[in-house]
Amino acid sequence: MQTKYLLDENDLPKRWYNLQADLPNPLPPSYNPQTKEPVAPADLAPIFPEELIRQEMSQKRYIDIPEEVRENLMLYRPSPLFRAFRLEKELKTPAKIFYKYEGVSPAGSHKTNTAIPQAYYNMKAGIERLATETGAGQWGSALSLATQIFDLECTVYMVRGSYDQKPYRKMMMQTWGATCIPSPSPLTQSGRAILEKDPDTPGSLGIAISEAVEDAATHENTNYSLGSVLNHVCLHQSVVGQETKAQLEMADVEADVIIGCVGGGSNFAGLAFPFIKEKLEKRPDLDIIGVEPTACPTLTKGLYAYDFGDVAGLTPIMKMYTLGHDFIPPSIHAGGLRYHGMAPLVSKVHQEGLIRSKAYHQNEVFKAAVTFARSEGIIIAPETAHAVKAVIDEAVACRQSGEEKTIVFNASGHGHFDLSSYEAYFAGNLPDYEYPAELIKESLGHLPRVV
Amino acid sequence: MALLQKIGFFVNPVAGMGGAVGLKGTDGVVNEAKKLGAQPVAPKRALRFLRALGDNHGLSIFTCGGSMGEDELKEAGYTGFSVLSTPQKISDATDTIDVCRSFLAAEIDVIVFCGGDGTARDVVSVTSDALPVLGIPAGVKMYSGIFALSPEKGAEILQHATEIAETEVLDIDEKSYRLGTLSTSLYGVARTPVLGTYRQAGKCSFFGDDERSRQEIARFLTEILRDDTLYILGAGSTTAAVSSYLSVPSTLLGIDAVYQGECVGQDLNEQGLLELLRTYPKAKIILSPIGAQGFVLGRGNQQISPAVLEKVGPENLIVVATPQKLAGTPTLYLDPGNPDLALHFGENIQVITGYAMARRMPLVLA
Repeated sequence: MQTKYLLDENDLPKRWYNLQADLPNPLPPSYNPQTKEPVAPADLAPIFPEELIRQEMSQKRYIDIPEEVRENLMLYRPSPLFRAFRLEKELKTPAKIFYKYEGVSPAGSHKTNTAIPQAYYNMKAGIERLATETGAGQWGSALSLATQIFDLECTVYMVRGSYDQKPYRKMMMQTWGATCIPSPSPLTQSGRAILEKDPDTPGSLGIAISEAVEDAATHENTNYSLGSVLNHVCLHQSVVGQETKAQLEMADVEADVIIGCVGGGSNFAGLAFPFIKEKLEKRPDLDIIGVEPTACPTLTKGLYAYDFGDVAGLTPIMKMYTLGHDFIPPSIHAGGLRYHGMAPLVSKVHQEGLIRSKAYHQNEVFKAAVTFARSEGIIIAPETAHAVKAVIDEAVACRQSGEEKTIVFNASGHGHFDLSSYEAYFAGNLPDYEYPAELIKESLGHLPRVV
Repeated sequence: MALLQKIGFFVNPVAGMGGAVGLKGTDGVVNEAKKLGAQPVAPKRALRFLRALGDNHGLSIFTCGGSMGEDELKEAGYTGFSVLSTPQKISDATDTIDVCRSFLAAEIDVIVFCGGDGTARDVVSVTSDALPVLGIPAGVKMYSGIFALSPEKGAEILQHATEIAETEVLDIDEKSYRLGTLSTSLYGVARTPVLGTYRQAGKCSFFGDDERSRQEIARFLTEILRDDTLYILGAGSTTAAVSSYLSVPSTLLGIDAVYQGECVGQDLNEQGLLELLRTYPKAKIILSPIGAQGFVLGRGNQQISPAVLEKVGPENLIVVATPQKLAGTPTLYLDPGNPDLALHFGENIQVITGYAMARRMPLVLA
């Protein structure tokens, strides 16, 4: 019985896969928030380097990964694919469960997969500092590591709720030389506006994005870097799915179900997009599931509409699933899933019916995380635990139906900095938040405010 | 063997009569309640308690004559109990005080009474912390922590209590209550038998940050109001914030109704609500639970009777509470007063806690 499927360093993909090339219908255009004209490369130039803008808009199916980026990805890639024999036994399921473990990266999650190329392209463009936001701290940690590699400065606006909950994430960022600031902060106009209205706000990703974008737009030597949502981020994450496909071949199995948690959509996209290509080409029955919290159920309860990516309305207006850019999700422990919107590419494939979505409450999610830790040993991030909950449900359904499905999920990060969340779960102190979608839907005149 | 063997049992026969007729308490308004057609509530509740206690007659029971306990014990099939005194008149606080003094003299282990907060206050004014006290809920307001959640659970506590704990006895000034001012007072500390989570915690008051949360809830609810729906707003400061947001008058501790942004009924009783529902058949009820104690329906808002709830539809109940209140209220309770209506509720209920924000809370049907 083989537990781990390991690829050689030479097997690290040499190209990123771009789903845009294979979409049945193209992505709707994004719009400039000021001019309301379709976004042109020049609109993005103040905050992104040229190569990332090119990737954002590219229709090419494959884009080469620069050798210097590959060399640095090799710090931890290719990541292992595990067969979860112990979880299968615990669940008494005939299903085969595999997980791609991205927690092996130095920063502890899949985020490093895009942090390294983003820092690289900014370094090449002569940028000296990157500004970014972080929710749970995974992205901030990853970009801090990547900017350290390429000798850039880094300013991280960390959602205040997480900043207070996770002091060790701050220490990680500091260790890698970054500056971590709780958001909203008095350092930006966007932050000051929020603090004036609500000095005790726990903050949100939408607010932190506004601060980081403003910082980048108002400093010549600074660019902005986003850890999710955007097309080029989904592109960089495609190494996850490409490696997984090769590892499943080693195991001589084909996936029947693909599962990932969704916040902004990047880890899900990383695993799922190469499989969506397969689904479009030859496997229409491949079941692909994005899992989100009931507190912020963007795919399951949101609208597919044009909206801003941030609270202040500084980002391009994108067509995506959204709960409204002014929606501030409650402070759940899966901070990385607290985002009002969704990657336009993930939104598009959801709207086209190529993927489906599920939502779970915090307590059932942590229960699943504990089951996983007690069987597979790994203490996973609360975000990842959403995927695990869906995996367990699918595997239990297989037990009931007798189906021997192969279920593959992205174990996107470890939870070593989330132990206070586990503590809250064990103490029975986790509220089960949810979004009152039925009430909102009943009132057609008062839908979430979108553009 | 039960921890408590010698029981002093009495019923306040007029407790709870003000509820269904919208009087927010029965203190000093018994005759008005009777004129409005109020029916006795406490004797039925007392019978439920006694029947739930079943055959556990190893207990020594002392009681009051007539409708203050003796009648209910007889109807429930009890024999061998001792009647310590028979009051000359009924429904006066002095009756409660007199019977409690006689219980003290008889050196009983625990006083079990069926009544409301007013009765609890009178009991504790005599016993202080000298004797454990257990309340069987029958009154309009159950703010005190000495009340069991239901008559049946009161019986279970009495049989299986493992310890005696201290708790606050609270009440509100009913005169100012009727004028719209919430004034919660600590009347004393009592001792009460404890069994798991069945005892109702004393009602908490929440101020400060709560206000911001209330405003968020109010902003959200006012945004989702529909023009074709009557909104019945329950008591409390959270629902009052909604009225305030709409710039309509409200009754802090009464039931009001709003239609198309206008107040169409204030401080409504059951009859008033049913009449409005004839005019506006499509309706929703917005209620906030009592802090700490957690009752959404069936305590303090008896105006929303089973008939009203049935007419509106249990699926049209919207529960609202600030996160601060829920922090001290781990479980919500609901007593719809009708087993058929109870079938509509599950083990959880959605509670609106902010702007477009809700929580799923455990729900126990009392």
